Amino acid sequence: MPKMPRKAVLAAASIALLTTACTGQSDTGATDDPNASTTITFWHGWSAPAEVKAIQANIDRFEKAHPNIKVKVVGNINDDKLNQALRAGGSSGPDVVSSFTTSNVGKFCSSGAFADLKPFIEKSKLDLDKIIPKPMLEYTQFEGKRCAMPLLGDAYGLYYNKDAFKKAGIKAPPKTWSEFAEVAKKLTKSKGDSYEQLGFMPNYHGYETVVDHYMSQWNHTYFDKDGKSSIAEDPAFAEMFTYQKKLVDSLGGFQKLEKYRNTFGDEWGAKHPFQTGQVAMQLDGEWRLGMARDAGVKFDIGTAPMPVADDEADEYGKGFLSGTVMGIAPQSKKQNAAWELVKYMTTDTDAVVAFANAIHNVPSTFDALKSPGLKVDAGFKTFVDIALNPKSNTPPASINGSTYQTTLQDFGYQYESGKAKDLKAGLKKTADQIDRDIEQAK
Amino acid sequence: MTQVLDKPVELGAPPVTPAERTARRKALLEWIAVHALGVAAALFFVLPFVFVVLTSLMSDNQTLTRDLIPHTWEWGNYAKVFDTPGFLTWWKNTLLYAGGGTVLTVVSSIPVAYALAKFRFRGRNLSLMLVISMMMLPPQVIIIPMYLFWAKQLDLSGTLWPLIIPMAFGDAFSIFLLRQFLMTIPNEYIDAAKVDGCGDFKTLLKVVLPMAKPGIAAVALFQFFYAWNDYFGPQIYASENPGAWTLSYGLESFKGAHHTDWNLTMAATVLVMAPVILVFFFAQKAFVEGVTLTGVKG
Amino acid sequence: MSTLTLRAKRRKQALRTAAFMSPWLIGFSVFFAYPLISTVYFSFMKYDGFGVPEFRGLENWNYVFNDYPMFWPALRNTLWLVLVMVTLRVAFGLGIGLLITKIKTGTGVFRTLFYLPYLAPPVAATLAFVFLLNPGTGPVNSVLGDLGLPTPGWFTDAAWSKPALTMLALWGVGDLMVIFMAALLDVPKEQYEAAELDGASAWHRFRFVTLPNISPIVMFAVVTGVIQTMQYYTQPLVAGKVASGIIGGSGQQFEPGYPDKSTLTLPQLVYNLGFQRFDYGSACVVALVLFALSMVFTAFLMRRRGGLIQAGD
Repeated sequence: MPKMPRKAVLAAASIALLTTACTGQSDTGATDDPNASTTITFWHGWSAPAEVKAIQANIDRFEKAHPNIKVKVVGNINDDKLNQALRAGGSSGPDVVSSFTTSNVGKFCSSGAFADLKPFIEKSKLDLDKIIPKPMLEYTQFEGKRCAMPLLGDAYGLYYNKDAFKKAGIKAPPKTWSEFAEVAKKLTKSKGDSYEQLGFMPNYHGYETVVDHYMSQWNHTYFDKDGKSSIAEDPAFAEMFTYQKKLVDSLGGFQKLEKYRNTFGDEWGAKHPFQTGQVAMQLDGEWRLGMARDAGVKFDIGTAPMPVADDEADEYGKGFLSGTVMGIAPQSKKQNAAWELVKYMTTDTDAVVAFANAIHNVPSTFDALKSPGLKVDAGFKTFVDIALNPKSNTPPASINGSTYQTTLQDFGYQYESGKAKDLKAGLKKTADQIDRDIEQAK
Repeated sequence: MTQVLDKPVELGAPPVTPAERTARRKALLEWIAVHALGVAAALFFVLPFVFVVLTSLMSDNQTLTRDLIPHTWEWGNYAKVFDTPGFLTWWKNTLLYAGGGTVLTVVSSIPVAYALAKFRFRGRNLSLMLVISMMMLPPQVIIIPMYLFWAKQLDLSGTLWPLIIPMAFGDAFSIFLLRQFLMTIPNEYIDAAKVDGCGDFKTLLKVVLPMAKPGIAAVALFQFFYAWNDYFGPQIYASENPGAWTLSYGLESFKGAHHTDWNLTMAATVLVMAPVILVFFFAQKAFVEGVTLTGVKG
Repeated sequence: MSTLTLRAKRRKQALRTAAFMSPWLIGFSVFFAYPLISTVYFSFMKYDGFGVPEFRGLENWNYVFNDYPMFWPALRNTLWLVLVMVTLRVAFGLGIGLLITKIKTGTGVFRTLFYLPYLAPPVAATLAFVFLLNPGTGPVNSVLGDLGLPTPGWFTDAAWSKPALTMLALWGVGDLMVIFMAALLDVPKEQYEAAELDGASAWHRFRFVTLPNISPIVMFAVVTGVIQTMQYYTQPLVAGKVASGIIGGSGQQFEPGYPDKSTLTLPQLVYNLGFQRFDYGSACVVALVLFALSMVFTAFLMRRRGGLIQAGD
């Protein structure tokens, strides 16, 4: 039909016009009056009932101190939803945002997904080096651009069932990985093709026993100075994967462990396997203490840093660090008001301490860490110490966020199940994949 | 639908000849075999429902055990699901999307289907082929530019409007189905209306539509359930705003969002399955006709 | 008739057609043609939602086909699903349809029971099956275990996840049952009677009378089954998401294709690339592959059902 070609040309022209129009950047709006009456929307990722309550209490305190700003709180927002909303721009999006995935800060800062905080920090005259511990400052910026502030930190350590330890005659928590393997085995009691009690759930799909949490206990580097993945060259990675596989095999084999894992209750509910006694040791963040107590756990809970490699025994005491990051959405028209909330929640000592006490997280400012108001019992002290330990670490930021961790984790799944047999070749292939993905994202 | 008997079996008259006796025995054995298979098949189809309902009535402690029958019958689980924040909102949103969308689809598809069924025009066959192509297109093919259009251009992300508005412009499947149905309406009625002086639109309204009620009902039902069951659409457009979630998306997130165990999740599942099944019972005829329209005619 | 009135009549008819077709014409251009062309455009661009799209030629295409670790597994899964799931579904649907035509007592009840699962909303049905097939505590493995039979990992085992999805698909075979039932009942009885008089066994009757008569319907079921497989999205995604236990709350991104990419399908890749990695360009590449595959099968369907279009004056 003669009409078609003309239509096609018209279509192509309008596409070009429309697509450039619909992908233009929205203007940055730090022009609002922070003292005017306004409502801002705050998105966060917490969902456990106690945590949601604690956030609300924090917000209530803020609203009291800033009566002109009302805050609408939306919880249970994960990174997928957050990223989508930030890209869509638009009026239904948030003003203040937060995320648990610190390694996505690279993506947030470089793409402009979180607004640049430098002008706000300068205006408020904050000297961040004096206020916030260095590792936390590190994971809230990327290549010199600061787009986030740390909102409480998480330190990961070892939880152990003291009653089970006593029963098995174990005197102290293991400090090195070989001790750990022995202890885990001692605490494991099989029952038929399942377990009466499992010493430790080592599978990568287990709660929090992901590749990067394991890796933090070895001296390691993810990227070399050219920004290329070094997981194939750095022997620490091969060591970790080998160790984990041995542990899996010694505790009953991958299949048996997977089956057992499928009987576990929800990670954030009352039936967490550590809380029910299904596993005797758990790698977890500092929040587990409070949750276990809220669930009315009957046994005595012990905490300690996770073990380290046998030949790096002097590094004992370190752990995986991360935390929540908080930022401002660039499309927000109320950025000054948003900054007030960010500043309050991340630097006001009373706010930080109160929030840390409520959700049992590690505070993210020096003043809060040293504050007498901070509730520190023996169990929690372990995590405060881990947070202050100079060797504690977090995976580096990258331009495509946590994709490289997902890729490495993927390889972990293959290796622990026995599907991938050649560790060296597998690591090389994974390193190449990581490099390629980063190329694609640049 | 009439039942087909392979061989007429006369009951009452006692079998006399050996041939008749064998035939009778054979028919009985066949009856037993067929019905045994039928029962086995019925179990396959029904047991999952049974287990889901049983689990929904278990207590928290029992859901992760291997016991299949609830020790205590926790009818309160259903109340708990209703009380879960957002559950009623999901209902409201789903009804809006499915109900409103269906009305829009039917109203906008009827004229198009009529044109494709009864008008002759250059490009009719091409249009029909394009309609069929649209029917077969997975929504993921065009989701990226559509999402950018709705979210960036029109600032409608976090709502269900990107799903509802397109339904006002006809739906390929509905158009096709309706067209097939309208073609079965004899042209004599339409010619008679023309002779009486009716314009095309009036003919459609006064003569054809009343005769097309079964087809329209079938189309409406299909569209309603398509929207009711849609997961991908709400996932893309509504996920960032829990106030816009529908039942399908909310149900999938239920377990994670509320840290519940399987018993409550299964109760929620029952509450999502039940309305559809209820509607089916009331609208069986339209359903079955609609399905056969797609498969057998033409 | 003078040419003037003829032309006027033609124009009036054209306007009438345009008026009736207008909803779809708008819908087609705005919601089909425009986005399709846009998808092609974006497939050559680098765009992540911020800033402006940049032209990068065939880089995205190269990435997807050569370096994206999920692409080929998804294609292989699609092939598996087409060969196994569609075949089993058609065969089972035909079997159940046959069975139902032979059931004389309580036909209505059986028919309803067989059809009900088809009505269950996909998310609900998938959740139900993930629960039922839970390797540790689900009823199916409990019973299998008690009987001393092996208890596979179902949705948590890469070798069993697609069979589990197939079971879910077979459970919902009600729609095929209805079509086959109608087709089977349409087979002329005289042909059966003639075959019996000739001494044909039940199997011969099936092969030489039933099958030839219903073969168009079988064909239809196969082709639409394949097209549905191209669109298979909700069930594998929900099954993987729920079975892996990684859901919203802790901020973790869910892992598509759990376990071990065995439940990946092409539509899920569009979601992963577009809405998890925000590489809109590569997402459009996968979208176009999906489009091409769907159109191939659609063309095949249309050729066979060409009568469809010709029918109706």
